[in-house]
Amino acid sequence: MVWLTGGMFVVACLMILSLLALVLYQGLSTLWPRPFLLLSTSSDELIAGELQSRQNYRLSRQNLRELDPASQVQAEQLLNGAAQVNAKRMYLRTGNYEVTNRHFVFVPDLSITSKKPIEPENVWLLERREWGNLYGFPKSLSWTDARETDVVPLVRDAMRDAARVSSALEHQKNLLERTDRRLADSRIAVRQVELNEKIDLQAVAEQAIQDSLAPSADVSSVAAGSKALDGLSVGARRAIERLIEETKASSELQITINEEIAKLEAERNARSVVMQLPIPEAAHPISVPWSELVQGGESASDELKNAVGLGDVSDTIEIHTKPLQDRQAILELRWQSQPPLMLWGTANADGTTSVSRLREHTVLIADIVRLVEPNRLSLIGKAGVYASRWGEFLFGQPREAGVEGGFFPAIWGTIVMTLVMSLAVMPFGVLAALYMREYAKGGWLLSIIRISINNLAGVPSIVYGVFGLSFFCYTIGGFIDGGPVKAGFNPWPSTVWFSAVAALAVLGLIAFVISILGNQAGQRDSSMRRWIGFLSGLLWLSCLVGIALLVVKSPFFHGFYEAQLPNPTFGKGCLLWAACTLALLTLPVVIVATEEALAAVPNSLREGSYACGAGKWQTIHRIVLPYARPGIITGFILAMARGAGEVAPMMLVGAIPLATELPLDFEFPFLHGSRSFMHLGFQIYSLGFQSQNSEAAKPMVFTATLLLLTIVTLLNQTAIWLRARLRKRFQTSQF
Amino acid sequence: MNRLKAIAEGQKVESVIQDEVLARDPILQIQNFSLFYGRKQALYNISMPIAKGMVTALVGPSGCGKSTLLRSVNRMNDLIDSVSIEGDMLLSGDSIFDPGVDVIQLRKRMGMVFQKPNPFPMSIFENVVYPLRIDGERDKTRLMQVCEHSLRGAALWDEAKDRLQESGLSLSGGQQQRLCIARAIASDPEVLLLDEPCSALDPIATGKIEDLIEQLSGDYSILIVTHNMQQASRISDHTAFMYLGRLVEMAETSLIFTRPKLQETEDYITGRFG
Repeated sequence: MVWLTGGMFVVACLMILSLLALVLYQGLSTLWPRPFLLLSTSSDELIAGELQSRQNYRLSRQNLRELDPASQVQAEQLLNGAAQVNAKRMYLRTGNYEVTNRHFVFVPDLSITSKKPIEPENVWLLERREWGNLYGFPKSLSWTDARETDVVPLVRDAMRDAARVSSALEHQKNLLERTDRRLADSRIAVRQVELNEKIDLQAVAEQAIQDSLAPSADVSSVAAGSKALDGLSVGARRAIERLIEETKASSELQITINEEIAKLEAERNARSVVMQLPIPEAAHPISVPWSELVQGGESASDELKNAVGLGDVSDTIEIHTKPLQDRQAILELRWQSQPPLMLWGTANADGTTSVSRLREHTVLIADIVRLVEPNRLSLIGKAGVYASRWGEFLFGQPREAGVEGGFFPAIWGTIVMTLVMSLAVMPFGVLAALYMREYAKGGWLLSIIRISINNLAGVPSIVYGVFGLSFFCYTIGGFIDGGPVKAGFNPWPSTVWFSAVAALAVLGLIAFVISILGNQAGQRDSSMRRWIGFLSGLLWLSCLVGIALLVVKSPFFHGFYEAQLPNPTFGKGCLLWAACTLALLTLPVVIVATEEALAAVPNSLREGSYACGAGKWQTIHRIVLPYARPGIITGFILAMARGAGEVAPMMLVGAIPLATELPLDFEFPFLHGSRSFMHLGFQIYSLGFQSQNSEAAKPMVFTATLLLLTIVTLLNQTAIWLRARLRKRFQTSQF
Repeated sequence: MNRLKAIAEGQKVESVIQDEVLARDPILQIQNFSLFYGRKQALYNISMPIAKGMVTALVGPSGCGKSTLLRSVNRMNDLIDSVSIEGDMLLSGDSIFDPGVDVIQLRKRMGMVFQKPNPFPMSIFENVVYPLRIDGERDKTRLMQVCEHSLRGAALWDEAKDRLQESGLSLSGGQQQRLCIARAIASDPEVLLLDEPCSALDPIATGKIEDLIEQLSGDYSILIVTHNMQQASRISDHTAFMYLGRLVEMAETSLIFTRPKLQETEDYITGRFG
């Protein structure tokens, strides 16, 4: 038996360890810079890319056709009649997406013809704001014809300048956005007046705006415009006047801001770097023999110069050859002090030689986020790049639809959502558990409720998502936005509604009288007291239902955000409803944990407190709650950890793949309950399975998983630490 | 043995109470008190006086209802749903079980100490002044006065005066029980109810508590439940012998331990049965 149990223990440990190892390895290694390789294949292609990993795979007869003819022969030999065989391949990140239309490539070992891949020293990796990574060799800078071999510092300086320009640009765009929002707000205010006073202001407003904006806006036309306002109420006039002011202000601001933006954009776009991508262009045959070309040397023949368009260069040109295999080589042409010109040379079958220049591509300096020279990095340099990438990952904004760059909005969204969720779940859970454990008398009803709550913890979380969407977002959110009509309740006519109010008032009075009667009668007869208690409870309950019904069926309430309709404010997935849904989801966890913590409070303490003459609530809040606090907090943090990791309901009630605004920021009112937000768990799902290029996103998925696991583990560790610390206070020294 | 047999068979048996006990000025008067757990009767028509300023011990075999009777005095049994009672008790002439009685005010007139020390998870100081805290007392000097007075009364002052802010749970078992006594006398109660206060303590701690009870008698009227005959004989002025929910005999301790009126009492006390 010990072997069986021990074996199972080992299996469980192995499963956990291997999961951890996978996530840790993949998550931690993704951002580590890797060497950039050049190799050639049996189809005479030049393959270039950052080596992500070497993988094992099954080579089978079915996928032979994907290989080129030469590799097929190789593969046949390898297979040797078998249906499939293990083989190795390289997994390379090629980047340059806008040119090659791919991010990654798999190269089977058997189709690699180069003896040893080249690791060119001067290759650059440019991480860009758009289009992902670019790999290539620097050729020239647009703003200077610097006679230096090492242009990296120049580019770094330019990037720093560009960052300043970009932030200035960002600032101007924010200003523009803010004026736009103010204008939109004043339009909404006019619409609100229209709704309140049931009049049509559109024509008046438009006219007034046109009058006041016309270039020939003289006194008389403005006066005429204001005459149109005469018949209106004070509120309407104020709204229209504000609209006119905002329109004027924004049209003036727009001109200056747009000028500024145009200036900044011109400055931003002024500097670029021309890169040579590892993609050979059309080949030019030359008569220089291959052997001579490969030897390189001081001077290139004029023929070579002419073939690659360097006819007018009078300096001597050095040729450095890096042979990939017998018939293919990378040629570096150096003259004076310049970044070298890269060429792709091949020996043709007929003894002639062809050379081709590499595809050139211009990259705006402002688009570059990070410049890395992957093959020149020392270990410390690699660590520096690694740290800088982690910094961006943790604190930066996403690029490329979240595939690259930072996860800060997702981390922030997760944290804020979890905090709001805990604020919502804590009072409910603890008070409900307090009632069930300290006040309720027990009995079958309580047992049923307790069982239901325990079962609620097992309901699939997507069910909560569906409920949250239909109840919180559409019903309550719709009600807040546009009143009963928007939420799908038919409001009563006002006569019916007022009679219902009257009926409810009578009901409330009866309930009140009966409760008072019950209190007096109860002192004599306990069975009578129970009946009257039951009856008055029922009456109070129906009063509550009646009030809810009155609110829901009110013909007078049209929502707080009617003017914004049909754009929903709260009637969609957003932070508030996501937090409420998760609060509902974690409620059972909190209730069960709190109940257990309360049950663990020794009865002798309660008795001791009662014996001192303490009342029920005094006992609870002075003795029971402090004693149960560690347990309550533990349950609470476990609920937080569960809520932070929950994804399925988030998809329905507010998480989005890319949010421009944070749910908690420095803008009044700071916490924006009606905003959608980014969420780490949802980000893992949407990156890995929903994004256009999930292959490129795969490494990020692991990194995000690692981050989420870290957050959840941290929360759990905090719970354990907190419990241990609080428990120490209640340790009793037994004799 | 006939009486006990009669009780076991459910017959009604008159309890024997010494006249000297009846002659004392009672602080607590138990009158025809019966108690039921659901349908099961636990106490049968108990009538007895608890003398003012004296120590009254309740003795009897396990399950005879001593603790139930004690816990009825400050209505701790109210916490159990199924309990119902008949009869009444009078504390200084005020009814305890009248429907109009404010239980919380009633409990403030008594102090209670339980079998196991149950200090609250707070500092020694807060433990002692807890009864005042729940009355809303904020005056620091008054709280300190009461704390010192109660701790002196409970013979704990010398040991605890330097560590008032430490947790009450950091004390030893005997000290914890004395802390509970200090808490019970902090509100200057009319009656002190002790429910086997020494059963969880070692002999030395027990001795200290017994000394303390002797000191307290006179200032406080004490009702103590005990299993220990020697303890009852050492510390109590009056002793009541209970059996199966009935009061069998009650008399001055010196009398009941030397020449009880009933043979049954003598048998129990001398350990011949029980």
